[in-house]
Amino acid sequence: MHTPTAMTSKERIRAAIDHQQPDKLPLDFGSSFITGIHCSVVEQLRNHYGLEKRPVKICEPYQMLGEVEDDLLDAIGADVKPIFPNRTIFGFPNENWKEWKTPWGQTVLVSEHFKTTQDNSGNTYIYPEGDTQAPPSGHMPQTGYFFDTIERLDPDFDEDDLKLEDNLEEFGLMSRSEEAYWTEQAAKVRGSNRAISTHLNGTGLGDIALVPAPFLKNPKGVRGVADWYMLTADEPEFLAELFDRQTEIALQNMEKLNKIAGDVIDVVVVCGTDFGTQASLFCGVPKVREIWLPRYKRINDWIHQNTNWRTFKHSCGAIEPLIETFIDSGFDTLNPVQCSATGMDPLGLKEKYGDRISFWGAGVNTQQTLPFGSPEDVRKEVLNRCETFAPGGGFIFNAIHNVQALTPVENYIAMIDAIKEYNGDK
Amino acid sequence: MNETLEKLVAAIKTGKRKDAKSATATALENGTEPQLILDALTEGMNDVGVRFRANEIFVPEVLVAARAMQKSMDLLEPVLVASGIEPEFSVVIGTVQGDLHDIGKNLVGMMLKGANFKVIDLGTDVSADAFSAAIKEHNPNVIALSALLTTTMPSMEEIVDCINAMDTDVKVMVGGAPVTQEFADKIGAHGFSTDAASAVELAKKLCA
Repeated sequence: MHTPTAMTSKERIRAAIDHQQPDKLPLDFGSSFITGIHCSVVEQLRNHYGLEKRPVKICEPYQMLGEVEDDLLDAIGADVKPIFPNRTIFGFPNENWKEWKTPWGQTVLVSEHFKTTQDNSGNTYIYPEGDTQAPPSGHMPQTGYFFDTIERLDPDFDEDDLKLEDNLEEFGLMSRSEEAYWTEQAAKVRGSNRAISTHLNGTGLGDIALVPAPFLKNPKGVRGVADWYMLTADEPEFLAELFDRQTEIALQNMEKLNKIAGDVIDVVVVCGTDFGTQASLFCGVPKVREIWLPRYKRINDWIHQNTNWRTFKHSCGAIEPLIETFIDSGFDTLNPVQCSATGMDPLGLKEKYGDRISFWGAGVNTQQTLPFGSPEDVRKEVLNRCETFAPGGGFIFNAIHNVQALTPVENYIAMIDAIKEYNGDK
Repeated sequence: MNETLEKLVAAIKTGKRKDAKSATATALENGTEPQLILDALTEGMNDVGVRFRANEIFVPEVLVAARAMQKSMDLLEPVLVASGIEPEFSVVIGTVQGDLHDIGKNLVGMMLKGANFKVIDLGTDVSADAFSAAIKEHNPNVIALSALLTTTMPSMEEIVDCINAMDTDVKVMVGGAPVTQEFADKIGAHGFSTDAASAVELAKKLCA
């Protein structure tokens, strides 16, 4: 087999997405909020690799993801680096870091706007925009490792009188300060050898983590998770119109982003909306094609016509029946490729779709093997996935979703070592 | 089955909450036996469960059907209570300690109600002690435990251990994204199901 000459990380990622054989297997950990590592594991990894001892920065407070800084990216051999959005899911910027002790006793760095309170049972509450006068929008139980959103339902909400404006409150045009943020961030990574990834703002189209709007102080409209799911059954026209309006705004913001930072970005996370359960879909294929596909296509087409970015679609679960729809929507990569879900057989996916969409994930099961298997179980699964997905490109290695808290660090190391073994570096 | 009850069954199957409410009101005004109205709801929800398991409909369609059933139950429940009609079997359900996720748990609860189980919902982040107390208070036939996170699977095991150590013949069923049959067997649960409709079949089996 022809092995290409050594590539930079950026070249490696772009080759793989474009279905060309890279010089070695491309790897991502930490480039997005769905390909990251829980802060407790980041700390153990830093210790394992003998990196400078310092508290881990919480880049994403909802799932308590730790920032994978350059020294750790180097240690594990990761090829992608993020530009994170200017505000977290709780609506505050990550700036002016301060120390915070987690319920499990780890000292981490959080934004100065990360404001929490505790009740008598040891539950932790977090506040939108760091405003403790507003009702809390996130909650971590005493024995938890993550926040979950608190549904704050609008007392004036009337399910018989849905208003588009209520569910559009958080979608607006990029402000001057956001433009300045992107300008500054782009300057920091311009010329990087690593591929650069970012989350697009406002293209999530019904991402269920964002529906309760934990970043807003007093959200209006449909903000309950179950209520939102019922819209797809009850009010498809409302959803379609809402997504049209969101897409209009997003396209204008993408145009601005392209002018400011278009040259540095390689990959954009367009949408994290989950369509799969462990065994089935959340929504039938015809409905996804009716409500989502046309808006996805507008976004992906604009990107492909106006930028050099590649687009990234995330959906957990048993989504094999929707992959054709994602391809028709114009997505370049699919994540996290949950191989344990019904119908998500690795070999079948590679054979049927491997030359038309790239798989970003699929590396190892984070529900079973990585947290509960032995290092040898991890090694075998990782090598098997590499052998299945890597030939011919179209594969960026990442675990199947974020590496969870309580994952044994030796299992994570076994995964990295297995990738090195596959690459012939070990 | 009379025309009104047929309308009620159709309203449940298609998740039309207003139709379900008006058909129930009409049936009650006409003096229909409350048990027959309840049977119509069960028939509608049973059909929803069958189509859900066959992947003909999905979670949103089940949710609107359950909401329609609830609108009907709001009117019917006081009449059932007054008539002394009670579900034969009861289930205590909750998401285990450390876990706040409740979509799956709520879906199972709704489907169980639709199959005429009495459902006592303890909510999320529920400790072993709280489950023990609920067993003593309600004497249920089944305990249903839910977990979404890998980090809360040990908590599920702890709760099952605690229940199995009690002097009770209550059966424990478990479910949730990372939970498997193998895990259920390992921790000594009596049953596992992959989805809300199968959970109803499992609960029926455990009560038999």
